[in-house]
Amino acid sequence: MPLFEIFDPKAKPRPIGIDLGTTNSLVAYVRDGRPVCITDCNGAALLPSVVFYGDQGVVVGEPAQREAASHPRDTIVSVKRFMGRGADDPETRRLGPYAFAGPEEAPNRRVVHFKVGRETVTPVEVSAEILRALRDLVRDELNAVGPVVITVPAYFDDAQRQATKDAGRLAGLEVLRLLNEPTAAALAYGLGKRAEGTFLVYDLGGGTFDVTVLRLEDGVFQVKSTGGDSALGGDDFDRTIAEELLSRANLSENKADPRVVRTALDAARAVKHALTDVESAEWVMDERRGTLTRVELEALVKPVVDRTIPAVRRALRDAEIEASELDGVILVGGATRTPLVRRVVRELLGKEPLADIDPDQVVALGAAVQADLLAGEQLKEAGEDVLLLDVVPLSLGIETMGGVVDKIIPRNTGVPTGARSTFTTYADNQTGFEIHVVQGERELAQDNRSLARFTLRGIPPMPAGLARLEVTFKVDADGLLKVHARETTTGKEQSIDVKPTYGLTDEEMENMLIDALDHGEDDLLARRLAEGRTEGERVLLATRKSIAAAGGMLPDEERVRIEKAIDKLAAAIAGSDPDRVRTATEDLDRATTPLAERRMNAAIAQAIGGRSLDEVAEEVEAARGVDSHVEEHQHGRANRGQGE
Amino acid sequence: MPADPFERLGIPRRFAIDRREAEEKHLALSRALHPDKQVGASPPERRAALSLAIEVNEAWRVVRDPIKRAEAILQLSGLEGEVGETREPKPSGGFLMEVMESREALEEARASKERAAVEAVVVSAKKQREDVEGELASRLDAALALPEVERLPALRATIPLLGRLRYAARLLSEANTARDEIDGF
Repeated sequence: MPLFEIFDPKAKPRPIGIDLGTTNSLVAYVRDGRPVCITDCNGAALLPSVVFYGDQGVVVGEPAQREAASHPRDTIVSVKRFMGRGADDPETRRLGPYAFAGPEEAPNRRVVHFKVGRETVTPVEVSAEILRALRDLVRDELNAVGPVVITVPAYFDDAQRQATKDAGRLAGLEVLRLLNEPTAAALAYGLGKRAEGTFLVYDLGGGTFDVTVLRLEDGVFQVKSTGGDSALGGDDFDRTIAEELLSRANLSENKADPRVVRTALDAARAVKHALTDVESAEWVMDERRGTLTRVELEALVKPVVDRTIPAVRRALRDAEIEASELDGVILVGGATRTPLVRRVVRELLGKEPLADIDPDQVVALGAAVQADLLAGEQLKEAGEDVLLLDVVPLSLGIETMGGVVDKIIPRNTGVPTGARSTFTTYADNQTGFEIHVVQGERELAQDNRSLARFTLRGIPPMPAGLARLEVTFKVDADGLLKVHARETTTGKEQSIDVKPTYGLTDEEMENMLIDALDHGEDDLLARRLAEGRTEGERVLLATRKSIAAAGGMLPDEERVRIEKAIDKLAAAIAGSDPDRVRTATEDLDRATTPLAERRMNAAIAQAIGGRSLDEVAEEVEAARGVDSHVEEHQHGRANRGQGE
Repeated sequence: MPADPFERLGIPRRFAIDRREAEEKHLALSRALHPDKQVGASPPERRAALSLAIEVNEAWRVVRDPIKRAEAILQLSGLEGEVGETREPKPSGGFLMEVMESREALEEARASKERAAVEAVVVSAKKQREDVEGELASRLDAALALPEVERLPALRATIPLLGRLRYAARLLSEANTARDEIDGF
């Protein structure tokens, strides 16, 4: 796309919803008020999430799938299961045809590396290829690609979410939001049908299982609880069936041969699909064949389906609701087509589940709705008054003495959220403090997912228990965690390097971005300028609107200062120096911060009291700013932690 | 915890909250502050809204939870130095006996690996929690309504009930965990 199109204000690119699935991926957008999926030239909405790394370059989708049988190692299927995983993850040891780079070959052990052809690639890069293919699909249909919402399993942990967002960025997309898949599905159902009540979404996809209980009322989608298993899905049906087929074909010995494994997995999938509608079907594996009945298939996959039951029970309990009180059950994900799954859900919840929106498409459709709503907000257009209130799926905590986890944010806490904990030194004259952030429900740190480790250094020598280390967690609306730590005894703020346990560092991301561009550094400069301009334009628009709405909240002197900063930024955008654009944006940011805080405090007073903005403006004028309040809030929290 | 979670949500400071009212305030504040509603705002507005949205959600978490709510009321009433597990007085002998009995019942049920046995402990822990919560509600709110000179001692006298509520809640959560284990978690 030529650069000038980005800046043409009349060509507003459409906001896009993306379901980046384990087996298939889809894109959708809102056309004439209704979400629709974009289809390829053959009319197919599903893009197989398959990437083939061949001698001629990278191939994605159907053509890549055709290569899977002949090039099982170079064709990555179900990459989503490896997102945010470490090179030593159990997932890498399951039945599958891939070659993983060992410690001596992988640039870093913190992420999985697939060996494809002569190179190694990370799951983030593989996913970015799928996203680029989807982006091209959108371009063919709509000429331009707007900001996107990408869905993730609700049960995805922080590392898996961050990896997904990185993939979006690597594919050159503006990611507005990561949206939980069951919430997306509820959005598609709720808005389409104007439903109200409490619903349970049972989402069994290719590689992930989510269960979410949410309440729909008055345009508010409030998630009450969520649970699941981010390594459980239709793929596991296929593996179980494949093992059985291999044994029936007397090929169990050949499990090390990637070609045999790929053929078995494909045969398993084919016979599974066939048995959705008939009682008995034939399986074919090269020259060997046989018959599998639905009864036999169900006996094979029943243990896998049963693994979803405890998560459903716990989600109901966390939501403080009985199954009989549910107003409906929504099925999402291709694996819920399996008749056994429907039977199990019906028996467990005592309700006939809803599946009237295509379970393969419903998530993408919901994502498109959310993208459209958010972009509407971005332009401050009057839109439907919809609000999604989601939760943290897994508790966040810090490892303390003895390897025990101190839970800082419990699961099912509404996002955005934050918490602060204070820790202290346990040895005399201790000058460094290692902090290990984990996610999960288990008591011991080693049984949970490790998210990050960092060391706070330069603590002044003092007796044990005297130093105060304050760790702040913030979880944003994407479910992404940010951790800050500081030592409060000396009052000195310290910047720390947070190394994700299973993720890419900023530097690695930057290098990948450069590699992804055709002409390296020059393009990066152009891209930075383009991004800076887009952001600058957006800030200008937002600032002008907030000045216009400020009324009595903005003293003349401050207004003049802001207007000067506006002029400077407008001039910088007209120029071509990305650094100047950035500096001017930062200056405008500083100039408008006091006004922003006054406006938000006014908004709060209005929301609580139902009063008009003018009424509260005067009170707010005299009131202290957000900063002083936040400061106080911080001290109020500093009462937990080790040694207290 | 925000300085005053009740103030943050714009609801009266008391234990027996009007849940519907609190929920509505939380929603109204979320509509104004949630990041989804601030996509078009300038970065400083987004930051200010985010930090307030976090406070509102934290306030809601405190107000919604009976134990945290009681703690907040006592702390805000001038008893901050006396509230918290390590600061509160040790439970009485009679209550300790009760605790030991219910713990034994849970251990037996857990050892039996019978879902129904664990379920029975869950039900009884739930009942216990409800009873204590009801008593705490009436005593706390009655204390809050007293003239200033009598208020503090009356509030202080509710602290042992808070301790009992904690025990009941912990028993319930352990019983739930035991049931999860039987269910294969």
